[in-house]
Amino acid sequence: MAIVEIKDLTYYYPDTVKPALNKINLSINEGEYVLVMGGSGSGKSSLVKTIAGLIPEFYGGKIAGSLAIAGINSKKLDKKSFVQKVGIVFQDPESQLVMTNVEQELAFGLENLGLSTDLIRRRIMEVSGALSISSYQQSCHAELSGGLKQKVALASILAMQPDILILDEPTSQLDPVAGEEILTMIRRLNEENGITVILIEQRLERCFHLADRFLVMDKGKLVFNHTNSESIARWAGEKNSPFIPPLARLFAQTGFSRIPMTIKEGRSLINKVTGTQNSKNKQGKPVLNNVEVKKACEQSISKQTPLVIAEGVWFLYENGSEALKNINLRVNPGEILVLMGENAAGKTTLLKNLNGLLKPARGKICIANRDIKNMQVEELAGTVGYLSQNPNDYLFLDTVRAELEFTQKNLDINDPDKSEELLKRLDLLKYAEDNPRDLSSGERQRVALASILVSDPQLLLLDEPTRGLDYSLKAELGRILLELKEKGKAIILVTHDIEFAAEIASKVVLMSQGSIIGSGNKYEMLTRSTFYSPQISKLFSKINDNIVTFAEGVNYLQELINNREDSSAMLRSG
Amino acid sequence: MMYTYKEKNNLIYKLNSRTAISYIFLLVLFSLIMSHPFFLLGLLLAVGVVIISADIVREWIVYLKVSLGFIIIIVLVNCIFVKAGRTVLWWGPYIPGLGKLRITLEALCYAVGMGLRFLVIISAFCLFNYTVHPDKLLKLLGKSGNRVVLALSLSTRLFPVMMGDYHRIKEVQRCRGVNFQEKRLWRKAQKYIPIMNIMLISGLERSFQLAEAMEARGYSLEGKSYYSLELWRPRDFVIFAALGLATALGIWLMILGVTDYQYYPVLNDINWKDGLQAGFFSMLLMIPAVLNWGWNKWPLLRSKI
Repeated sequence: MAIVEIKDLTYYYPDTVKPALNKINLSINEGEYVLVMGGSGSGKSSLVKTIAGLIPEFYGGKIAGSLAIAGINSKKLDKKSFVQKVGIVFQDPESQLVMTNVEQELAFGLENLGLSTDLIRRRIMEVSGALSISSYQQSCHAELSGGLKQKVALASILAMQPDILILDEPTSQLDPVAGEEILTMIRRLNEENGITVILIEQRLERCFHLADRFLVMDKGKLVFNHTNSESIARWAGEKNSPFIPPLARLFAQTGFSRIPMTIKEGRSLINKVTGTQNSKNKQGKPVLNNVEVKKACEQSISKQTPLVIAEGVWFLYENGSEALKNINLRVNPGEILVLMGENAAGKTTLLKNLNGLLKPARGKICIANRDIKNMQVEELAGTVGYLSQNPNDYLFLDTVRAELEFTQKNLDINDPDKSEELLKRLDLLKYAEDNPRDLSSGERQRVALASILVSDPQLLLLDEPTRGLDYSLKAELGRILLELKEKGKAIILVTHDIEFAAEIASKVVLMSQGSIIGSGNKYEMLTRSTFYSPQISKLFSKINDNIVTFAEGVNYLQELINNREDSSAMLRSG
Repeated sequence: MMYTYKEKNNLIYKLNSRTAISYIFLLVLFSLIMSHPFFLLGLLLAVGVVIISADIVREWIVYLKVSLGFIIIIVLVNCIFVKAGRTVLWWGPYIPGLGKLRITLEALCYAVGMGLRFLVIISAFCLFNYTVHPDKLLKLLGKSGNRVVLALSLSTRLFPVMMGDYHRIKEVQRCRGVNFQEKRLWRKAQKYIPIMNIMLISGLERSFQLAEAMEARGYSLEGKSYYSLELWRPRDFVIFAALGLATALGIWLMILGVTDYQYYPVLNDINWKDGLQAGFFSMLLMIPAVLNWGWNKWPLLRSKI
């Protein structure tokens, strides 16, 4: 039976002329795990908010068509039944927790439903046990990590025992480990409790293989709706859509008849291909041989003078914790260095030491041949650009152009051409007179980046720039960073996104507990690792350990197919 | 308040909030009614011992340091402006408008008494701030459906979040070349305007998202219920009994006039009996600290109370 039935649904937000949802027809069966994909502003959130009853109740606007939950028309469902049937978890835990402590938070929705104290107590016990948050029941939210806060938000919805659980990018603000934990919990809820799950998620490589139904939204329309993962992979391949994980995209793009969803399936397919080859070719011919890899490394160790030199840098926070321990680092112009590692490894602290926001306790940092010991952040701002995690922290002026002018004015730069050129290069010229707060998340990030680049810094520091970005926005950011690299800028970026790092890094530094535990070019650092390897490297692990980027994967797979065809032809002719 | 509350593992934190608030309320009430320095000292000793046992001495010292400045002002103002009192300690120069400066023992003692009262109130406030959970307090003020209570709860929850926002935005502004080291006050204030601006815009966006999340969890529904976290334990009854005794003793002593003290025109006589009564009264108010000590020392007692 369809638990959600949508017919000809069209919706306009108040004071808009373009529909946010355009003639949607959709049927979701009970117990399905539905993955909703689409770019920024495609209507994904509007769709799930309609199913959750927030549209049009909370937002207002005009709506046409019908929505039925468990066979009952939404207009006939009273608010209480709606809330009990459908629960929604949003992306930012900070913006959905209401009370100050965990137990009160879990009780909030149950109090609203008018449940008795005994029942509330029982529900809290059950849900906090199931999500392993019992020991935090008396903790204040301020003491919890981002991952735990999101678990509390999820628990507070689950306590209301909804039939349908909607999650709107629940892991976008979390680090990969916490994100993984949330996605595992969601899978368990779906598999073990039969809860219908509707998930909007950007980290497709982690949940794509779990979904029973795939929806793709574009400009308010439902452009793809199917239960077969291979069909969506093929469809995305044909349409050149970025909304499939790299693994599936690789096989779809190289014309495989079967599309694997997991690394295990992918490797089995590859083994079938390589299995037909003679023993000489079994290890596969690397896309880059050892000499080429060495060359790639040497490119990054350029003969130029390093732009950043950190020697024996130590840093202590006021509470006495040693956040950096003996850091030695060199970054050349035209190099992208990616800092990776677990949470609290010291990555952000290192960035803040490099731009002067924090001062090392011991050691020396030189930027562009100048010791920055006695230099203030403001003095360094023209040389070192810093983009923090949240682009909203940058935006307060009425227009995009004014944001760029603000930085120029502070740094006494009078170069309107530079700002114009940057607006053009970052595809922001059409929004130059718009309020940056009215733009989408990807566009806001580009404005924040432009407000930094306008001072033409030689060194660019980026802290988690891909957080919350979808595949296409990530690809666009990667393109911009590679362009800057080509222009000779040095870039240091902190990211947990291994797929992104694989595509753009020249050098990778792994940090743990304040120390550098490994550094090298991406071929050395991002292969042969169980956790710090992109999907493509994992796929070809021990077959060809020199493949990191998607393009290399495509070339190599194509080569394997060609070799196979050659051998078959040889066998046939022999 | 949320910013300061951090639960510690001792009995003072594990009292029913009604017990804790009643205790603090009575301390403040007695300090306002009683004027005898022995009784004020007794109240200060009692609250001090409870604070020490609650392990918030470091926080208390900050409050005491701030209070010291106020007490000095109280003493100075009282000594300079109050001409009552017969025991002159020092004749000062002639000051236009005030006449000849005359500092009396009575005015000095009165100021010290006021200072003691101020210290009791500040210490009670410190105890309240660090040991009463804001959620529990808000629950006492009204059911969770109450809009004022919800607004207060949200404000306390978002305070640390906004402090984090402030520091982050300031860092970002510095990275865009804004120099906050400006010497001229007006120009310095101007530099802070963008920070406030961003905080306001982000705050509004967050409020909208919070409202949406609350709506999704049925906040607008009628017929809410009330979930209480609080348990009554023997420790609460023991403390309430001690408070009852202290109140009865306090009222009886007030009726007898023992808790009053006349500073002017000459200081009342002080006898040892007043000290004994004040000491006994103070000991009743130290019961929470005694219970906490036993709670920490004897697991058996801990299991019983």
